[in-house]
Amino acid sequence: MIQKKICMLGGFAVGKTSLVARYVSSIFSDKYLSTVGVKIDKKQLSVDGKDVTMMLWDIYGQDDFQTVQPSQLRGMSGYLLVVDGTRRATLETARQLQAKATDTVGPVPFILLLNKLDLAEQWEIDEPAFFKLVEEGWRVVRTSAKTGEGVEEAFDLLARAMLR
Amino acid sequence: MAAADDDDGIGSLRAILLAPEQRQLEELQVRLDDRDRRAQDIGEVLPQVLREHAHDPQLARALTPPLEEAITASVKRNPKPLADALFPVMGPAIRKAVSASLASMVESFNRTLEQAFSRRSIRWRLEAMRTGKSFAEVVMLKTLLYRVEQAFLIDRRSGLLLQHVQAGSGVVQDADMVSGMLTAIRDFVQDSFKVSEADSLEALKVGELSVWIEPGPQAIVAAVIRGSAPRDFRPTLQDAVETIHLQFGDLLERFEGDASTLEPARPTLEACLQQQYRAEERKPRTTAAWAFAGVVALILLAWGGLAWRTQARDQRYLDAVRAEPGLTVVSSERRGGKLVVTGLRDPLAKDPLAIATAAGIDAAGIEGRWTAYQALEPSLVLARATRILQPPAGVTLSLVDGVLSFAGAAPGAWIAEARRTAPLIAGVSLFDPLLAMIAIIESPNLLFHTGTPILVPGQDVEVRRLAETLRDFDARAAAASQRFAVEIVGHTDAEGADEANLPLSKARADAVRDAIAPKPFANVTISTTGVGSREPAVGTLDSPSSVRAGQNEADNQRNRRVTLRVSRLAGGPR
Repeated sequence: MIQKKICMLGGFAVGKTSLVARYVSSIFSDKYLSTVGVKIDKKQLSVDGKDVTMMLWDIYGQDDFQTVQPSQLRGMSGYLLVVDGTRRATLETARQLQAKATDTVGPVPFILLLNKLDLAEQWEIDEPAFFKLVEEGWRVVRTSAKTGEGVEEAFDLLARAMLR
Repeated sequence: MAAADDDDGIGSLRAILLAPEQRQLEELQVRLDDRDRRAQDIGEVLPQVLREHAHDPQLARALTPPLEEAITASVKRNPKPLADALFPVMGPAIRKAVSASLASMVESFNRTLEQAFSRRSIRWRLEAMRTGKSFAEVVMLKTLLYRVEQAFLIDRRSGLLLQHVQAGSGVVQDADMVSGMLTAIRDFVQDSFKVSEADSLEALKVGELSVWIEPGPQAIVAAVIRGSAPRDFRPTLQDAVETIHLQFGDLLERFEGDASTLEPARPTLEACLQQQYRAEERKPRTTAAWAFAGVVALILLAWGGLAWRTQARDQRYLDAVRAEPGLTVVSSERRGGKLVVTGLRDPLAKDPLAIATAAGIDAAGIEGRWTAYQALEPSLVLARATRILQPPAGVTLSLVDGVLSFAGAAPGAWIAEARRTAPLIAGVSLFDPLLAMIAIIESPNLLFHTGTPILVPGQDVEVRRLAETLRDFDARAAAASQRFAVEIVGHTDAEGADEANLPLSKARADAVRDAIAPKPFANVTISTTGVGSREPAVGTLDSPSSVRAGQNEADNQRNRRVTLRVSRLAGGPR
């Protein structure tokens, strides 16, 4: 059994919490997020017959990336960077968060989640912007917290990236 | 050239000046390079190092793994030497363990007994019923000072759980997440109040529970404590953190998410699961209770002793009453401090109260309820007959198997009256005026000198009395119209042969007949016979040897005798 610390990063209201709510086991209520600024959930999965336990640190999202404490990122083996597809500004926040994460813990694997796929027609992040990210070498998965589309895939991708 | 010369010059100078040091350096170099030599050097200082650092925990920890390896290897190769070495300590150790375990069992038994019956325990049981908790849980909460319920070993950087131990089998929230959250909260406090790394969060407290946190460079030990732990529990945690870092420092540093590598740290963590219960307070009530119990016991003892004494005295009295003829106890009981005896009493029996006095028992404590009856005990029948028949002076009554008789000279009128009245007396079946006389006639043994039919001196008085009785007997037999036969039987001792003894015995019988009945009687027939030594008064025919040997002249004398047998010839009781 391998354990990994994973952080969920993203701007305000990008849907981090809803995104994982259906896929993780949790014993803490959401109010920890707004008080302590972090809430911890657990996600267990199996990659190529290897059991992996992901301790998910859901970090309270604020558009000001500076409020993310380095201590919360310390020791993480990877992270999920969540962007609200309907708000282009959240992609910028994600970029800053990514820079901060790299700054704090070094280059660890991460997956960019373009969330709210169910509202695709309202998206501000268009195809060119999406491909630009892919070209930059980012792993990008389009997800929907509402339908669950892409969520398991994102976890699986991250787990593989971390174990590589 | 000049420079080369200078170099040579300096070299020579150095060789001259530093030659001894150079040599020493070379020697040292050789010594350091030579493994054997180095081993020897270390060997010389090693015992001293070990001695001086004997109490250094680091040394102990460092030596533990190789020692364990060595012991394991030794046991694998041949377990006997170690077994032999341990043998003298195993016995006492096992005995000690067994006795300690017994003592603790007794202690726990005592505690259980105490808990089961005290007022406090009833209160706790009620509380358990009210709150739905188990009784054991309530007892634990009430007597617990503190208990370390869980201990976490947490990776300091990631907050990942490395190891988790818990006391008992209670339900524990997902330790992984608790571990992460603890770390997050710790970070939160540190970030929020901008405190230095050294002043990190040490404890959290919520109601009965507190979490003590002891950080190390790589990992944190967190202990979840119920109740209030003493300050000196902190060093236990510090020691655990230090030990774990010392033993597993490398593993902690290289930790990549596989917690199973830190499995060996569990014992250290388990050592943190301590607990302490409130010492039983000694209640002064206990003393009072013991004193009360003592007084009660004394009273019971005294009462029991008194009751036992009374009962023994009653029994003694009743036994004496029962032994007395004419008194029959039907029932007895203690009522109102008195012994009430109910029974039957013959008017001629002894006064029961007099029996009490004679037995040294206070008659005032006895109440007799006696119903009169006529007892059939011979002594009472005789007393009753004496009272009713009022025999004249010189006449005594006797009773044998319900047949009343008398001895002595009695007027014919009295005899006639007695013959009529006696059978009406309870306990008397028949009045036989001759019976008592027959007994008198049959009673004497007339004794003789050895080998002769001559009576020993003094026997003539007996012979004269017998002759008178016989005459009287003949007269009464005539009055009663009865006939009797009296057989005079002669005996000898075992000395001599039958041929001599038989005639001798016959001669002795004849001599007596001549003395007591020189003339024939009207109603009594006299006959004589000799039986030799065949019916000895002393000794038996089977073993007459001692008698024959003449070892006992007194016995021989008693056997040289004449006896009389009376038999009724014309019917009537005999």
